[in-house]
Amino acid sequence: MNWFAQNISTAIGKKLLMAVTGFGFVGFILMHLAGNLSFYFGKDAFLKYVETLHTLDPIIVVVELVLLALAVIHVSTGTILFFQNRRARTTRYAVNKTAGGRTIGSRTMPYTGFLILLFVILHLSQFHFIDHAVQTPWDAAVDTFNNGLFALIYMAAVILVGIHIRHGFWSLFQTLGLNNEKYMPLIQTIGIVIAVAAAVGFFFVPVYIRAVI
Amino acid sequence: MSTQTIDLTLKVWRQHKNNPRGSLETYPAKGISTDMSFLEMLDVVNEQLTAEGIEPIAFDHDCREGICGMCGAVVNGRAHGHMPETTLCQLHMRHFKNGDTIVIEPWRARAFPVIKDLVVDRNALDKIIQAGGYISINAGGPQDGNAIPVPRDNAEKAFNAAACIGCGACVAACPNASAMLFAGAKISHLALLPQGRPEAKKRALSMVRAMDTLGFGNCSNEAECEAECPKGISIREIARMNREFIKAALS
Amino acid sequence: MTLESKIPAGPLQDKWDRHRFELKLVNPANKKKFNIIVVGTGLAGASAAATLAELGYNVKNFCIQDSPRRAHSIAAQGGINAAKNYANDGDSIWRLFYDTVKGGDFRAREANVYRLAQLSVNIIDQCVAQGVPFAREYGGLLDNRSFGGAQVSRTFYAKGQTGQQLLLGAYSSLMRQVNAGKVEILPRREMLDVVLVDGKARGIVVRNLVTGELESHSAHAVVLATGGYGNAYFLSTNAMSSNVTAAYRCYKKGAHFANPCFTQIHPTCIPVHGTYQSKLTLMSESLRNDGRVWVPKEPGDNRPPGQIPESERDYYLERKYPSFGNLVPRDVASRNAKEQCDMGKGVGETGLAVYLDFADAIARDGRDVIAGKYGNLFEMYEKITGEDPYQTPMKIYPAVHYTMGGLWVDYNLMTTIDGLFALGEANFSDHGANRLGASALMQGLADGYFIIPYTIGGYLAGTKLPEVDASAPEFAESRSQIQSQVDKLLSVSGKRTVADFHRTLGNILWDYCGIAKEEESLKKAKQMIAELRAEFWENVTVPGDAADFNQALENAGRVADFMEFGELMVTDALERKESCGCHFNTAYQTEDHEALRDDDNYCHVSVWQYTGADSDPVLHTEPLEFENVELTQRSYK
Repeated sequence: MNWFAQNISTAIGKKLLMAVTGFGFVGFILMHLAGNLSFYFGKDAFLKYVETLHTLDPIIVVVELVLLALAVIHVSTGTILFFQNRRARTTRYAVNKTAGGRTIGSRTMPYTGFLILLFVILHLSQFHFIDHAVQTPWDAAVDTFNNGLFALIYMAAVILVGIHIRHGFWSLFQTLGLNNEKYMPLIQTIGIVIAVAAAVGFFFVPVYIRAVI
Repeated sequence: MSTQTIDLTLKVWRQHKNNPRGSLETYPAKGISTDMSFLEMLDVVNEQLTAEGIEPIAFDHDCREGICGMCGAVVNGRAHGHMPETTLCQLHMRHFKNGDTIVIEPWRARAFPVIKDLVVDRNALDKIIQAGGYISINAGGPQDGNAIPVPRDNAEKAFNAAACIGCGACVAACPNASAMLFAGAKISHLALLPQGRPEAKKRALSMVRAMDTLGFGNCSNEAECEAECPKGISIREIARMNREFIKAALS
Repeated sequence: MTLESKIPAGPLQDKWDRHRFELKLVNPANKKKFNIIVVGTGLAGASAAATLAELGYNVKNFCIQDSPRRAHSIAAQGGINAAKNYANDGDSIWRLFYDTVKGGDFRAREANVYRLAQLSVNIIDQCVAQGVPFAREYGGLLDNRSFGGAQVSRTFYAKGQTGQQLLLGAYSSLMRQVNAGKVEILPRREMLDVVLVDGKARGIVVRNLVTGELESHSAHAVVLATGGYGNAYFLSTNAMSSNVTAAYRCYKKGAHFANPCFTQIHPTCIPVHGTYQSKLTLMSESLRNDGRVWVPKEPGDNRPPGQIPESERDYYLERKYPSFGNLVPRDVASRNAKEQCDMGKGVGETGLAVYLDFADAIARDGRDVIAGKYGNLFEMYEKITGEDPYQTPMKIYPAVHYTMGGLWVDYNLMTTIDGLFALGEANFSDHGANRLGASALMQGLADGYFIIPYTIGGYLAGTKLPEVDASAPEFAESRSQIQSQVDKLLSVSGKRTVADFHRTLGNILWDYCGIAKEEESLKKAKQMIAELRAEFWENVTVPGDAADFNQALENAGRVADFMEFGELMVTDALERKESCGCHFNTAYQTEDHEALRDDDNYCHVSVWQYTGADSDPVLHTEPLEFENVELTQRSYK
């Protein structure tokens, strides 16, 4: 495995880790979003979805472990890259203007990433690491979102997720070497669609709960 | 074209033996013809400073026609100034307004230490090429130039990548001071030609490693390099480098 | 002394082969015992350094810029000639040889030019193998174009950046040898002296431009590839750091200088627009394929070009040279532009420009076709001048571009100092009195890849070279001489800047020793330069100190040499009482105002020997013998 360690520790190797793990998260978010859409059909529909999910329990455990591994890799590599990149420019510019390459997404990647990490910890503590015998996921959601502060945090966080995906999605293709004049515009569009869908789809869960329930 | 003159205020980074930490110094630049190039403007200011007994501003420059890659400074936060696909020597003063304040700083990257004022050491770029940016043939008896046909499209793409002038603006403009566009351009140029294929793997692996050891940052796909490159080199060259690297790493 | 050109005997076609056989070889195992210094990293220097290292020699390669890739070869636009005859249009080694000899107005050595034409073929193969992305046809084969009025398509090109791509090819080979540990690159070094031990070149002294330290480097042979001296004119198409210092200091140590007055002035450059101007930019002469050159008929006509009706325009090239029209050779076009401006018909704010008009071509072929051919040149023009050549005619004027003169070398490229070789534009070369388009790149690479690697071996194998290192007293002596000059420059503390002196020198040379020369004005120029030189040493101001990165000090040393060298150029121009190629003395012209050669008295190379700062140099001549071509008078009517 020497060759693997050597290559993965290079600048491109680390970027590949970010890309591959990021791709995993995009997949996860799409699934998560699809599941959460059942929320908009009311409590019964949602709990039925939860129940169906639990019939797949052994697989779920595996998926959870994979997601944990992805998270560890994504976060630790991202952190290393962040500090390496800061160290690559010891003296900052007095005046710094963009030439038009950067976007809000690209500019804020490490920061949105860090905030999303905090959010995920909060989210897991409120929804995952609870006794589901005492509190159904539905109840957990209702309880959480009835708190205005939490609702705001969740709504803000999913916008950050959208921004993160906006840069992350096309970026992962670029990192994998899949950038071509012909299909890059399509990849860019798909990235935007996913980013918007995720942000909008999750954003209205708290809104829906507070307005309707 | 009508020649006008404008008055400017320069804030120039000065750094040398007697001022090792460096600072921005303010100088007036009066009566600057709008037909001057940016470097000619600095020439005029330097003549003035010399007359006043102040040491002239050190800056690198050579061909002054945008091809040698020697010149470069960050002007008001933009590498080579604000005009697209333009080196500093080809930036003309007609793109500035009377009364403007212009902040001039050297390329900033850990891999490019400042030598004096606006002059930096870009030796690291040569070192990246030394790691494999060549085809290993000796002068002597290669086959006829027409023995290997190269698709015209590939030849043109290779040319576009090979148009890099090695000025370092990509590193200067990159928020992470990464040299990926520079390395990507060379790896792409050689990967696109049949002559470059035999060493493609070794080249990709060793050039990427060289970038790391020289202290450049990592690419975070911000595309600032592409936007500032005076030769319009695209980040697709970085993607091609990534592809070459992956191919090399996995085989 | 006699100049031994060492041209091998035998038929022209066999000379080089025969010579290669006769040259002694260095045993492969012994090559690593030889150290070679190469100064300069342009096409000639980089190719020489890389190739010598490939052979096994230890090479130290110096350059003035921060990286070897910046050498001014990089700015060459048009292309590189090679007698491949891929276009099947009748080209051959013999034809390239003949065109080059004739284009040089019969002032170059037959044997050298023939060798150059022979090697041109190998250069293309070498560059393709290195990965130079030449233009290709749809079938994947190399594309050729006709260039500079040649009647065959023998020019290989990579868009308008051929020089860049060829240089990067040589640079990549050089970087490979650096990686292999056979070449040490010493950038930001300026060569200030060649050091002779027992009459042989055994090293150099350079100034480290970052620290200001004078460094000594010893070797078994020294190869100079330091380019031309066009910047003597202050304004030229050369890069800012192009200078004569390395060559000139070798001249002072005993390397004779050949044909210093042979300067090529390129007709299509962007005109001067102010006293602050630092350099001139060349526009490829391919523009003359479609552009029409004109001036107003009436002197002093200040109307904008659009308001000057057709009947009041003088398309003077088409009028005077009906068969070649706007495509007359570089020297003819340049002379005519100056003539028109001297008559007061020049255009633009300075009156030193003529129009190059594409209106007819755009009307005939459409804007898209013209944009396809010249789009990048038009953009470059607009970037610099702020005018759109699609709307208003371009303004052009001639500018100093290339110097055919240089250090005298024999067939082995060795100067009159044993062990000191000169390559590329730094030698007096193969171009005679005028260089053809796309031939400079060819010569630089031929010298570096294919000539010096053989001939230096012959020298090293056949010469006794006791070990010498940088502690030899000759190095210390050289350093102390340089140091005293540096101290002197810094201590004058006068009123005028170095650039100011350089500008004045340039004006003198341009006015009196430029496109057209006259005996009286040349004499006047000589006097003026001597006076300027005297003033320089009393009134120059050089800020900063010696032990530092000090660009003003660098320039001061270069300008000091340019001034002495300018006198040599004028001396040479005065001595050559004929016109040939780019050297045009108005007293010697045909009825059609063409250069009129005097083959009886001046069919030779003028070779100057240095005798001291204040004494005139001594002239030697190397007769040129033409056994294979007939000397003819050029005519473009």
